[in-house]
Amino acid sequence: MSNVYHLNLLQPEEHLSSSPIRLRVMLPMFALLSALGVGVWWSVLAGRVHAVTQQKSAIEANLAQLKPTHETVLGLRTEQHDLTATLEQLAYYTRAQLRFGPSLQALAHHVPDQIQLTELHIPPPPEPPPPDPKNPVWGPTNPIERVTLRLTGRTTGASQVETLLRAFRTEAFTNLIRSAQIPKGAYRQDTTRRGAAKETLLFELNCECALRRFE
Amino acid sequence: MSLNTSIIHKIAPSMQRSILITLGGLMIAGAMVFFLVLPARARLQTLAAELNTLRDTLATVRADIAGTEQQRLKTAEVRSKHDALVRSGVLQPLLNSFAMRGKSLLDPLAQQTGFAIANVKEDRFLRLQVPKQVPLHLYGRQMIEFSGQGAYTSIVNFIALAEERFPLCTLAGLKIISQNQTPETHKAFITFEWPAKGEKRTP
Repeated sequence: MSNVYHLNLLQPEEHLSSSPIRLRVMLPMFALLSALGVGVWWSVLAGRVHAVTQQKSAIEANLAQLKPTHETVLGLRTEQHDLTATLEQLAYYTRAQLRFGPSLQALAHHVPDQIQLTELHIPPPPEPPPPDPKNPVWGPTNPIERVTLRLTGRTTGASQVETLLRAFRTEAFTNLIRSAQIPKGAYRQDTTRRGAAKETLLFELNCECALRRFE
Repeated sequence: MSLNTSIIHKIAPSMQRSILITLGGLMIAGAMVFFLVLPARARLQTLAAELNTLRDTLATVRADIAGTEQQRLKTAEVRSKHDALVRSGVLQPLLNSFAMRGKSLLDPLAQQTGFAIANVKEDRFLRLQVPKQVPLHLYGRQMIEFSGQGAYTSIVNFIALAEERFPLCTLAGLKIISQNQTPETHKAFITFEWPAKGEKRTP
């Protein structure tokens, strides 16, 4: 009978695993492969950067080539916009025009015989407000302008003035004159003339014309 | 804090080398990610965005160029409208004077209607309201005052004829004063306005 003895002279840390995958080989390989992988990743990215840069340069070159032609088109477009804006500004003016001629011509036919007009006054447009230095603008901001017509004259009776007032409500004037009124205290005794002065009244008549709308 | 190195000494030298190489490799990989990959990705993103913008610009430019002829026609059409309107009565100074121009335009009408012009005076220039898109050349209202005398019918016929002949001419002010000595002849101060080119705006 024989006894078999197994002698284990290895230290515990000298034991080797029976697995074919050895950690002391695999770990460095994994690390080096990671570095290699990152290197490949970077080279792919660098390649793409290069490709995109080339595409960008090609498009830039193309744009530079097209620039003169494009500037011509842009110039034409700018000119069109500017001319349209000018036309629009001039349209503000034309839309705000009032025609006085026909109404003033008609007035001669509607003034009763017993009325003598001494003055006809359409005041010119008022001065625009001074520009605000804090908020400079290219033009007036108020698009509406009031127009008035004032008539002064002599008459022998208030009824004649009423007749004239009624005439202003007829279609010969309504295109221009929106309202007409005799202001309070408009009738005064004419003291400048002798003789018939007692019978003569001075009067005043105020008319509001259509608004001038610069819009 | 103290590092217990006895554990390291217990590891076999081959394993120590392996750990060192692993750590070194990982550090290199990390450094490459940090210093190469991430900047390259950022650069690529920026370039891709720039490329997209450039592609859009190129598409717009090509579309613009393709519409050149159409644009030329549109501009010509607007220019012709503009020129026609300007020719129809935008006031241009004569010998550097709007009053001279006004006189030259309206003198024949005054003679035709019997209104005797005594004096022509360049009055105010009022700025005109501007549209949302401000034009490069701004227009305004140039006023010119004509003073003179005539019968009421002469005066108003003169006004009516001026309005008819010059469509952009507008009566802006009027004062007719009767005179005791000459009941049929009145003094008149007639202010007409025309659109006129004003200041040029700096774009």
